[in-house]
Formats: sequence, C-alpha cells, structure tokens
Amino acid sequence: MSEIRQIAIYGKGGIGKSTTTQNLTAGLCEHGKKVMVVGCDPKADSTRLLLGGLAQKTVLDTIREEGEDISLDRIMKEGYGGTKCVESGGPEPGVGCAGRGIITSINMLENLGAYTDDLDYVFYDVLGDVVCGGFAMPIREGKAKEIYIVASGEMMALYAANNISKGIKRYAKAGGVRLGGIICNSRNVDREMDLLRAFSRELGTKLLYFVPRDNVVQHAEIHKKTVIEYKPDSNQAQEYRNLAQAVIDNKDFVIPTPMTQERLEEILMEYGMMDLADDYKI
Amino acid sequence: MAKLLDKQRYKCALGAMQTVQAITRAIPILHSGPGCAQKLSDGTGSSGYFSPNIFPCTSINEKDVVFGGVKKLHSTIENALKVIDADLYVVLTGCIPEIVGDDSEEVVSQFDKAEQLESFENEGGDPDKFVYKPVIYASTAGFKGNNYKGHEQIIDAIIGQYLKKSDKRQKGLVNIWADVPYQDLFWLGNIREIEKLLSEIGLTPNSIFGYNRGLDNIDKIAQAEFNLIVSPWVCLKNMKKMEKKLGIPYLHYPTLPIGAYETSKFLREIGKFAGIEQEKTEKVIKEHEDYYYYLIERYADLFLENRVINKEFSVVADAQYALGITKFLANDLGLIPAKQFITDDTPKEFRENIKDEFKKLNYNLQADVEFETDSYKIHNEIKAHDYHGYPLILGSYYEKELSEKLKGNYLNISWPVQDKVVFDDFYAGYTGGIRLIEDIYTVAVQRFN
Repeated sequence: MSEIRQIAIYGKGGIGKSTTTQNLTAGLCEHGKKVMVVGCDPKADSTRLLLGGLAQKTVLDTIREEGEDISLDRIMKEGYGGTKCVESGGPEPGVGCAGRGIITSINMLENLGAYTDDLDYVFYDVLGDVVCGGFAMPIREGKAKEIYIVASGEMMALYAANNISKGIKRYAKAGGVRLGGIICNSRNVDREMDLLRAFSRELGTKLLYFVPRDNVVQHAEIHKKTVIEYKPDSNQAQEYRNLAQAVIDNKDFVIPTPMTQERLEEILMEYGMMDLADDYKI
Repeated sequence: MAKLLDKQRYKCALGAMQTVQAITRAIPILHSGPGCAQKLSDGTGSSGYFSPNIFPCTSINEKDVVFGGVKKLHSTIENALKVIDADLYVVLTGCIPEIVGDDSEEVVSQFDKAEQLESFENEGGDPDKFVYKPVIYASTAGFKGNNYKGHEQIIDAIIGQYLKKSDKRQKGLVNIWADVPYQDLFWLGNIREIEKLLSEIGLTPNSIFGYNRGLDNIDKIAQAEFNLIVSPWVCLKNMKKMEKKLGIPYLHYPTLPIGAYETSKFLREIGKFAGIEQEKTEKVIKEHEDYYYYLIERYADLFLENRVINKEFSVVADAQYALGITKFLANDLGLIPAKQFITDDTPKEFRENIKDEFKKLNYNLQADVEFETDSYKIHNEIKAHDYHGYPLILGSYYEKELSEKLKGNYLNISWPVQDKVVFDDFYAGYTGGIRLIEDIYTVAVQRFN
C-alpha cells in the first residue's frame, strides 16, 4: 500500500478550483483510484458536483449543533464513483474565525479516522487565497504535500497564484510541502498558454495541464454533475481524464520561487496582457 | 530576529480588571480564555467582596473561536446581572475575542437601561421597582498594550459610556486621578493622603477607588470643578476626554509628591489653580513642614553618622515612582541620582516631557533617565555604574538579588512586590516622605545588626 497522496488545490476565488477538483476527482475514479475530497471553504460548495447537490452537512455545522462527540458518517458522504466527500464549512459570515474552523475540521477528521489506508488521494479544496494561517492548514504540519494552483491568463489570477506560492515557500522547509504545478483553467485570453508557461517557469514549476474552456462544464454544473458523469463522451470529459493522468504521472515537485510584483508585471507586458486588458473574449 | 524581553514589570491590558476591582461594588466580566484572570491576579490584598476567583468569565474555547463568542458573552453578562449583586459591571475583552472579531461592544449595548427595563417588564417586574445595573465595555486585548493602558481604557469606558455632562458644578469638588490600583502597591494610602491634603486646604476631594468609594463617587465626577491628575502620563488622555465631553478642566501635576519640598509645591500649585487664598494654603503647609522638619532634625544624627547610605541611588520603577522618588531623594535627602530607569513602557509622546522633569531638581542636579523595559539591560547598567559605595536601589523584587550581589541597600517599592505586605501604607505627601525615609533607613540600620 503506497502512501496517500494528499493534494491541496489553491487559486484565486472564482477561478474554478472546485469545478476542476471535482472533475479531476471523477477522472481519477475512472482510473480506479480511491479519493476523498475535503472542502475547505465556508461556502461549502466543493463537493456539490460529486454529491449531486449541496446535500452535505458541514463538519462545523455538525459540531455547532451536535457537539464534538460525533461519528464519521455524520460528516462524510459518499459521492460519484465512491468518492468520500467532506465539507469543512464555517461560521456565519461576519462572525468567528473561519481559518480556525478549517483547523478544527481537519483535526476532527483525523481523530475520527477518516484517513483510511484504502485511500489513494485526498484533495483539499481551499478558498480563494491564503488569507490567514487557518487556510494554510492543509499545507502545514505535513498534511498536503502536493499543491496545485489553478490559474488563468488573467492578471489577478496570476497575482493570486504568485501570492499563494509565497505561502507554499514559507511552509516548504518545515512541512515538506511542494508545488506540483499550475493547472490552467482557460479563460480564452490571448496567448494564454504561452503566458502560463512563462509564469510557471518563473515560479520554478511547470504548466501541468491546460484545461480548455467549454460550455459543457457549465451545463454539467447546472445538472449538479461532473462533466465525466454528465457527458462522458465529450471532449471536455477527455480533457479531465488527461488532467487526472497528468496528476498521476507527475513527479516534479518544487519549492516555488515567487516573483516580485515588478517581475510579474514584466511577464504580463511581455505577453501583451496589459495592452489587451479590455479585450477579453469569454 | 525575535526580541527577548527579560522580566518586564507590567501585565497585559486585561490586568486592568484590577482597576475595576478597586472600585467598590464594581465587577469585571471577562470575555477571555479561562487562564487569563488566574494569571493576572497575583497581587496580595485582592480578596474581598469580589475576588478574581469569582469574576464572571466566558472562558472561551476553540468552538467559540470558530463560531464567535458573542452568544456566550451575552449569556455571561445576563447571568452575572442575575446572580452578582454589584453596582457596576465592566466587560473586559482579552486577546482571543478581539482577534476573532467578536463585536463585544454591540453585545454590551444590549444591556443598556432601556433594554434592561424592557426585559424586567417582560418578566412581570413592577417598573417602579426597576433597578438599573450599568454595564460598560472596555477593550483590553493584551496585544493593545500593558495594564497601564488597560487602566486608561477602563476610565475611558466610564467617561464614554457612563458619565453624562452635568449642568451642576460643585464648588471646590476635585476629582483625583493618581495611582494605578494594585499595580501600585501603595495606591490606597496614596490616594487617601492626597485627599486628606486637599481637604485641608479647603477642597472637596472625590476619588473612585477603595473603601467607601464607588458608583456614588463616579456619579459625582461630572459635577467637579476640576480634575487633578497626579501622574507623569497615565490617565492624561482621560483628562482630555473629560475636558471635551464633560467640560471639566484639569490640572496636570506630573510628580507624585513625596516629602516636604514637593508636597508644599504641590499644594501651592493646586491652591493657585483652585483660587484658594494663599494664606490658607500657606498655613496648612507651615503646620506640616514644622512637624516634618522637627522629625528630620531629630534624626539628623542618623543621616550624618550613618555611613551605609551612600550618596548615589537608582530607582527602577514606573514613571510615577521613578520621578516621585528621584525628586524626593535629591530634593529632601540631598542624595545624588545615578541613572534612573522607567519600566512602564511609557508611550513615546510623553517621554520628552518626563525627561525634562528629571532635570528640575534642586542644587542644580539633573538625573539621567532611561526608558527601559528589559531587566537584563537595566541590571547590566546598574552593575557597570560606580555608586561610590553601597548602591541604594529602589525597585521591584527583580532588583533584590542584584542588590545583594552588589552589597547594595535595597527597597522593594514597585511591582512585582514579594517581600512586604502593604495594607494602606503610602509614600505620598509629608507623612509619606517620612515613611519612605523610615523604610530606607530601616534597611540601613539592619545592615550590620
């Protein structure tokens, strides 16, 4: 039995982390892998496509209502392809500390024995940015050792990715966490692939996979399904299978070399982004 | 590189729960972890009607961090009002709820007079029998500063949330703001002595701390003719706030008057500010000075013959005591100040003025003063200085071992205090000066006994 590959997915808010993670998970299931997805976002929408809706009661809601003496099946549901789905959840907006909530949830999962030996992969789908120590929890203390950052050719997405890399670098020495690459969730921006490659190179990593834009993703989301479940024969389903294969095969794990704001903007200039900022084709 | 601070001489802002405790029948309600009050309540003399062991506390835990602790705070206040018979309830917040972002102020506002009356009536109470229990809130997160600043926060809360401007002015009524209760061992005696002196020159003193004082005295604050602040910097902001909100002017006397020279000066300045006939003030001063110098003369042989108390001294204390004692030892006893150390983390804005005060000594003396919170550095400087004989060190318990090593004469006058019990002893005023001389020379005469 090989060690569980624990993977954290970070990226700018709205970039498609949850969609990518769940489709990737579906792809891994088709490869016969056993996967657990832990949503680390107070919005609790990281497992919606795998579960066919927001049927999940979050860990924190459960703790709030029932106390800490709970069993694993109260907070873990089985989704598409036998995936185990957990949502950390969070406090009501504007009160409490969501970051500490993530820490509490992950500790509880460990205490309840959620990390079983039959698992091949655990994914942590973390909200937008590493805003405080709590949201770095999955990459602290040696939990997730692999990170993938979802980005696109948009400036703010790259800015966030660079910032997240700073967080990874911080924890790389002590926790042993490494960046596995950048996953591009395409926004059809001009020269997007070139830009992402250059950006990844500058970070000392690689563009792991370029997921093209396809409306079938939105259709599948409306039907509360992953693309692989909704349209298994579509091109996009194949793209996600390829992404899954890329993750399986990936052996390049690095400590990222985040760049200065000036350098980031230089790269953006080089690929014409700054001039074409108003000319997005979405 | 992290900075190490060796043996600091204050607590965190939440330590100001002791300021509340010093107001008779006022109780702190703590919104903090369960260990905070335990850690902060090390002073002797803090049992009584309310002791830190029964301070209501939300004792927040991880769950409250994640979901916010406001509900627990609400129920803690609600129940404190039911089971604790107090006149004033002061909610103090510790670090955790402030980091999490609990809106404690909003929770406290749910206990204002109108809300309390409403819930009293809802529970079937007769409105004529309703007794309002004031609840106020002070933000005292430890990361905001030390307990000197926490003390200011409590006074600020009283001014801001409880006091209202008064149309009435009571001629001669003076509010006294001097020592920080419990942080200063001699707080009770000092305040009472200052009150006594003010009464003698015909003023009506009003203070809020200690026996037989409390909410009634707080209620009187707004009617005072002026505020008297006897402190280099603590509470100065409060005075400005009262001036603005309540229209009460203030007299800032930065030096705690110890001994005849400073106390006479103190009374003259207050008398002048309050418009008291000079003759009256001088009469009071003369009576005190006559007795004071009678005692000094009787013991002049001790001062002359004793070879143990050398000329040079250092005070290691907060700004209040460093300044007060330095002036006393130089002006009244003719000792020469070596370096003086101020350990209360005085805000930078006040430091220059305080330094200037150390230059205003008799006999053209000037004291070198350093603002330093690190005991290691302070001790190194004391060790390096040549006191031309046995050093005289007046400081905290931290200076005891050092003084022993240096064969110095040592008196524990500032926090932490471990080797003496003080009920209501004091160093303020004429009598206080004599008490300080007694204490210093008691150390001296014991030396070879």
